[in-house]
Amino acid sequence: METLSKIAWRNVRRNKRRTFLSALVISVGLSIYIMMNSVMTGMDRANIDSLIELSTSSIKISTKQYAEDKESLPLKYGIPNPDEVIAYIQDQEHVVGATPRTHFLGQLSNWEDTMPIIGQVVDIEKDRKVFNLDKYIIGEYFTGTEENEIMLGKDLADEMGVGAGEYITLYALTKYESRNADEFYIVGLLNTTDPSINLNTALISYQTANNFLDLENLVTEIDVAVDRRVNYSQFTKDVNELAQKIELEFPALQVITFEELASAFLGITEQKKAFGSIIMLIILAIAAVGIFNSVLMSVYERIREIGVLRAQGLKRKEIVTLFIWEGFFIGFLGSVMGVVLGCGANLYLVIKGIPLDKFVGFQNSGIPYWGTLYGEWNVGTIIFAFCFGLIVALAASYLPSRIASKMEVTKALRFV
Amino acid sequence: MPLLELQGVIKNYMKGEQIIPALRGVDLSIEKGDFLSIVGPSGSGKSTLLNIIGCIDTPTEGKVLYNGDDLTILSDKEKTFYRKENISFIFQSFNLIPVLTVRENVELPLIIEKKFSKTEIFEKVTKIIEIVGLEDMAERFPRELSGGQEQRVAIARALVKNPLVVLADEPTANLDSEMSEDIISVMQKMNEEIHTTFIFSTHDPLVQKHAKRVIILRDGMIASDERKNHGNAQ
Repeated sequence: METLSKIAWRNVRRNKRRTFLSALVISVGLSIYIMMNSVMTGMDRANIDSLIELSTSSIKISTKQYAEDKESLPLKYGIPNPDEVIAYIQDQEHVVGATPRTHFLGQLSNWEDTMPIIGQVVDIEKDRKVFNLDKYIIGEYFTGTEENEIMLGKDLADEMGVGAGEYITLYALTKYESRNADEFYIVGLLNTTDPSINLNTALISYQTANNFLDLENLVTEIDVAVDRRVNYSQFTKDVNELAQKIELEFPALQVITFEELASAFLGITEQKKAFGSIIMLIILAIAAVGIFNSVLMSVYERIREIGVLRAQGLKRKEIVTLFIWEGFFIGFLGSVMGVVLGCGANLYLVIKGIPLDKFVGFQNSGIPYWGTLYGEWNVGTIIFAFCFGLIVALAASYLPSRIASKMEVTKALRFV
Repeated sequence: MPLLELQGVIKNYMKGEQIIPALRGVDLSIEKGDFLSIVGPSGSGKSTLLNIIGCIDTPTEGKVLYNGDDLTILSDKEKTFYRKENISFIFQSFNLIPVLTVRENVELPLIIEKKFSKTEIFEKVTKIIEIVGLEDMAERFPRELSGGQEQRVAIARALVKNPLVVLADEPTANLDSEMSEDIISVMQKMNEEIHTTFIFSTHDPLVQKHAKRVIILRDGMIASDERKNHGNAQ
């Protein structure tokens, strides 16, 4: 075995250029996979962060009746004693904040056009601890000084032809289902990574809503933010534990975690991973052809050598082993190169990231992020890529090895 | 009982539909310790005969007996074992493994045999390398040797496992006469000292001169079988 591996290793070294090219194909395949996985994981993380920061929060609490009828955003199923619930939640471990929100349906009008909107009533102070809207605001956040302040999604404002500092009319049904309309001062616009917020959301404060919607501090939803400075699985565990505690404390309320709310999105994430694996398979299939070719060339270059070894009493399976060793060395080199290359490139992605906003047209591509997209380290993926590269190399060298072992000794010795 | 016995060996090759006869009924007995030269023009069947004795080719008809056992009925595995245990080859074009040093090339048959410890292998290889006069070249690669030196390595490789039979196909074809004389004397020494059986296929008159027995093959048949009284007949 030692001698066979020695012969194989020296042959691999003797044909440096061919070995390098075969290993390079594997390494490119593996490094692309490592980078792609890193970017996709980074995208997922950014997406999940974005979802939690802008719409789902970590946990959503409502009454059970509201949860059943939430599509129509009714203003009749308020959470009883919301301050008590919020106070309980804020005392729990890992909680960053809890805020009330109340959703309503309405219409905006600029006296020429009207557009339907989903209104969100927010607590000016508490909301900022749960949802991270500040970094998306064009203009200002609620000042609390004006009586009728409103924030609009940027695309919605564009559709209506208004901007921050201007006025717009809002129509809505009050809690008692009477129609109301009033003029609102647009304090700021929201240009977020969530197109639905940008296109159909309007925010007003509880102070304003109490007058405009006869709300009387009705709260239909409490949103909870959990500390996300830990890794994703730990974060999920913390969220689930907290949700269970809240359910036990307030059994009449419906408690939903972000995972349940974003199940469709998380399903897409799994599909993306499968897509990534298909890409890697295609790349490695190309690499396998390269290795197959390389080992086959090695077989045909050394037909006489095979004849000599067989004449000396080397068994067929030992000839197979000899060439499998060659495939192994090429695969090992390629996998090491791929991991080094992939990790090097990934280091850049993790530290520097991809500045998405520098890509022309990206903002309008429908992909829900902007700014810089960072990669993520995934040790499991790197180990998997390394092993997979090696397995592909071994598999690709098997057939040429069999060809070598099947050669007739006399023909091999006569081969020129 | 002869060491090797060929009984009515016929070997035909197929070229498309056409049958090309290489051996047309060869009967031959080879004793242990023979130093035998098979001569004849190209295409007379010398190499085929050697290949059949070495069990790397199978006769179309006839038997090849080794110590009375028929080799033609052996499986591929058994033939490989027979070669490993009893036979060594020396080729016209040396056929050394280019990526192994002189020492490693000579070691190879012993490693394949899997009978000896590393120390025993080292001692045996050192001894045989000294016999062929290559002790200073042991760590060199084949590309760093002359043709004569390469053939010495090939001889050392063939002899290191003390085979019963050495089959040498034109062993001196690529060597000058001085080098050929040198190589033949090494093989003669082995033949005399440990009675290794040598069977040469050759055109070289020098080999014929040193052979104890000369067989002339013509058109796949034995035309003459001459046994000399002395190994060094002049």
